Amino acid sequence: MASSSSFKLAPASPSAQKSSMAEKALALLRSRLRDQSFAHGVFKSSPDSNYSKLKFLISTSIAEGCNNSVLLLGPRGSGKISVVELVLADLSADYPDMLSVIRLNGLLHSDDNCGLKEIARQLCLEHQLLFSKMASSDDNSQFMLDMLRECGLAHKTLIFLLDEFDLFAQGKQRLLYSLLDAMQTLSSQAVAIGVSCRLDADQLLEKRVRSRFSHRKLLFIPLTTEDLKVFLNHALYLPEDSSFSSNYVKEFNSRVKIILGDKKFNEALNSLSNVDGTIGNILRFLYQAVSYMDLASGLLTLQNFKSAILCFQKQPKLDIVKDASVLELYILVCMNRLETKEQNTYNFNSILKEYKAIHEAYKTSDHYGRTVCSRAYEHLLEQELICFVDGKGRHLSNECRPVKLLVSFSELCHGLKSNTSCPAILQKLLDHESFK
Amino acid sequence: MRKEERTPESASKRTTRSTVASPAPKPSKPPSISDCLLFPDDPISLDTLLSGLPGRKNQIFDVLRLIGPVNSPMLPILVYGGASTGKTASVLRIFRHLRRHFVYASCRTCYCPRILFDSVLNQLSLHRRSEENGYTNAKKCERASDFVNLLRDALVRAINLIGAGSKERTRVGDGEMIYLVFDNLEAIRSWDKSTSVLSLLLRLHDLLRMPEVGLVYISSATPDAYYGCTGSIEPVPVNFPGYNVNEVFDILMLNQANPKLYSTFLSAVLKSFYRVTRRVDELWIALNPLFKKYCEPLSDLNSVPDEGMKRRLFNSIQPHITAALNEVVEIPSYASHEKNKEGSGSRRGTMRRLSGKEAISDLDFHMSVSAKYLLVSAFLASRNPATLDAALFDSTGGSDNRKRKRRSSQMSIEKNDSVVEDILIKGPGSFPLERLLAIYQCITSVVEGEFNEQQPEDGVTMEGGKIGLMSDVLLQLSTLCNANFIVRSGSCPLEGSTRFRSTIDEDLALMVARSINFPLAKYLCRR
Repeated sequence: MASSSSFKLAPASPSAQKSSMAEKALALLRSRLRDQSFAHGVFKSSPDSNYSKLKFLISTSIAEGCNNSVLLLGPRGSGKISVVELVLADLSADYPDMLSVIRLNGLLHSDDNCGLKEIARQLCLEHQLLFSKMASSDDNSQFMLDMLRECGLAHKTLIFLLDEFDLFAQGKQRLLYSLLDAMQTLSSQAVAIGVSCRLDADQLLEKRVRSRFSHRKLLFIPLTTEDLKVFLNHALYLPEDSSFSSNYVKEFNSRVKIILGDKKFNEALNSLSNVDGTIGNILRFLYQAVSYMDLASGLLTLQNFKSAILCFQKQPKLDIVKDASVLELYILVCMNRLETKEQNTYNFNSILKEYKAIHEAYKTSDHYGRTVCSRAYEHLLEQELICFVDGKGRHLSNECRPVKLLVSFSELCHGLKSNTSCPAILQKLLDHESFK
Repeated sequence: MRKEERTPESASKRTTRSTVASPAPKPSKPPSISDCLLFPDDPISLDTLLSGLPGRKNQIFDVLRLIGPVNSPMLPILVYGGASTGKTASVLRIFRHLRRHFVYASCRTCYCPRILFDSVLNQLSLHRRSEENGYTNAKKCERASDFVNLLRDALVRAINLIGAGSKERTRVGDGEMIYLVFDNLEAIRSWDKSTSVLSLLLRLHDLLRMPEVGLVYISSATPDAYYGCTGSIEPVPVNFPGYNVNEVFDILMLNQANPKLYSTFLSAVLKSFYRVTRRVDELWIALNPLFKKYCEPLSDLNSVPDEGMKRRLFNSIQPHITAALNEVVEIPSYASHEKNKEGSGSRRGTMRRLSGKEAISDLDFHMSVSAKYLLVSAFLASRNPATLDAALFDSTGGSDNRKRKRRSSQMSIEKNDSVVEDILIKGPGSFPLERLLAIYQCITSVVEGEFNEQQPEDGVTMEGGKIGLMSDVLLQLSTLCNANFIVRSGSCPLEGSTRFRSTIDEDLALMVARSINFPLAKYLCRR
């Protein structure tokens, strides 16, 4: 294994210096890759990017002192929140003391009372006021209205960032209504930013809420190939002006350049982005690859990326079948036979009957008692290769509850082939099935 | 729980955090951050780490790589693999090796969101529940939203403490990162509101947005089990595959008093056990009694066996292997062990098929006679169709010849495959209380009849049988229900009365019947 050496301490001084350099480079790359904000920084300058659009939108509403609302929609990992955070960070530098941000998350605050309370809490925190935990929901919403007015008078823009916007649209949507309704008045000055991975998030809104919502939407799409290239260059090259020695940077960057130009690497990257081309997925892939970096040499290699790709192509179900014991394989094959016999329901008893039939027909050496089989059966249940058909059946004992296979025929075939201790008879039984 | 059994060493390690540490040595001294967030024992070297966990080298390197060098931020990782593949042991020992600050919370011991939140917050705020503080928690935390706020505060405070410690050079841990380890993530799926808790935990990275915090999830379910509930960014997966036979061998060889002897033992038996189960914990339990048996002929346990001795030992252990194979699942009690010895000698011929239970010819537990009758009648009621009751039990009982003939003719009508399938699929049938009591009365009266023929003067048994039918039987029934021999299976929508179902299998029923000399086989309708 290439990496086993990376954890040994470097002995001599020149190599120690090099490995400390490598460590610093690794830390830099990892901190770049863990946060999507860095990744989106590269698209700041392009006028078509969501960053520019959002920044324009918010800065105009700050400058003109008006209310606004916008929805950011896109799949998970496409960097919606990161872009917002980038915009907010830049704007608060541009307009010091004119912004205050309230962050809500649908996972945590979708309950109306809880959401209002959190708004009040963050407003208090922001403006150095004393927050009372005992305040009622009415008090909190009144407080929010007052604060909106006060901030409007002081020409301070309140920004409500609603993550997982679709979850706020569950239930009576009182929070959304009171928030958007308060933003209808001239005196307030606020921007509501909804972030959701549901593209139909605005359709979920009630009529009274929808009519108060401006229907601006920014769509986040997976990276195009050109953008991906720009992004990779941005993420993987070391900066030349920094504390790294120039030789090291030169060597490192030339290696990266070779890798980025490699045909196989690009194929792998394509196959990856065909499955999930969001920036989050690419980042995770790069993170894997970078963590494979050998600290002794301090350079990235193509092999690092190949190993990372392998990690992404894992098939957990197949791995479990590969690791199953012989008895467990017998049970799986029995179940598969029962399924191909078009027996619509079957349970442990019928599996055991099938198992015995196989044993009698082929005189296999693996014949075990009922208790042992039932333990193997429970292992399979635990590993979720099989599951009970009915959710309820509480009053039936496990042996009588109908089950079904959760692995497909081809997965089972592959698993049997790759299982080293699989007896030949099972393979034969399964192949025989497929001809029928 | 499982891993402890295999590596007794690690068991004590894991519990130290809560048990050994909790009787705080000096209550006056507040716990320092290194006491609470570091592994309580001395750090171990990489070599010890690897040799203590045979067969996990690649996985340990994977985790080490993803956690990264000191003070490097990380993406959340998900360590997954089947039960007893060393996930928790590896992760905890890695933190012991790295000497980094971490918080460990198992979703199995913390069985609901509130307890899980409390456990994490208590550890982070260096708070120990003890007698002095009345076992209160550091913070009151009911909702997920409070948890995230409190967690952020606690993390910031802890990170500041670590930073301050490093300036004063009092710190013992490495780095300024704090890692949150959530174990048994799969258990959450059975909680109330499981999806929201799971997505909360899996999205902590996005919610906190703190580069100083690393997240490690440990789960025995595969990553695809979590796709549905979040649809969210998955953590980076690390697979812990099952052990192969050589690795199992190495693990079982750990901490053996006489390695030579044990290795010859293992090479004799392990292969056959490995075909049945690959789980180290089960193998360990199954092999222990076998090893004792293996050692029986030996006078000196520390001797190194030569070739002849090996062969002799192997021959002596050979007959026990098959029996032990079927016991992989049971933790043998002393009583059943004794019986096993006699049973394997004498009774093997008669009951070859049911090897797991055959050896235990008598019941392991005590049960009153009327409870036994009740159990047998419940079994009959579950197995036989209700239409046959009249034929089986009339006033003269089922024991005379005429009835049996009729029964068998009835049998032949029903003797078709579909019925057999039915029984296999549906399991034992359910019956109302009245039917149970009727059968009970019938079979007790039959036995009394026999008794009366033998000893006509004995009036006591007869009366006993009559009285037994009163409230006492209902009590026995509820006892049997509690012992899970009979289950209540919901009420019938038409009749409205509670129906019962017996859960015992035929072997146990036969055993019970034999203990009260009841001819059960005569009454079973055979298909």
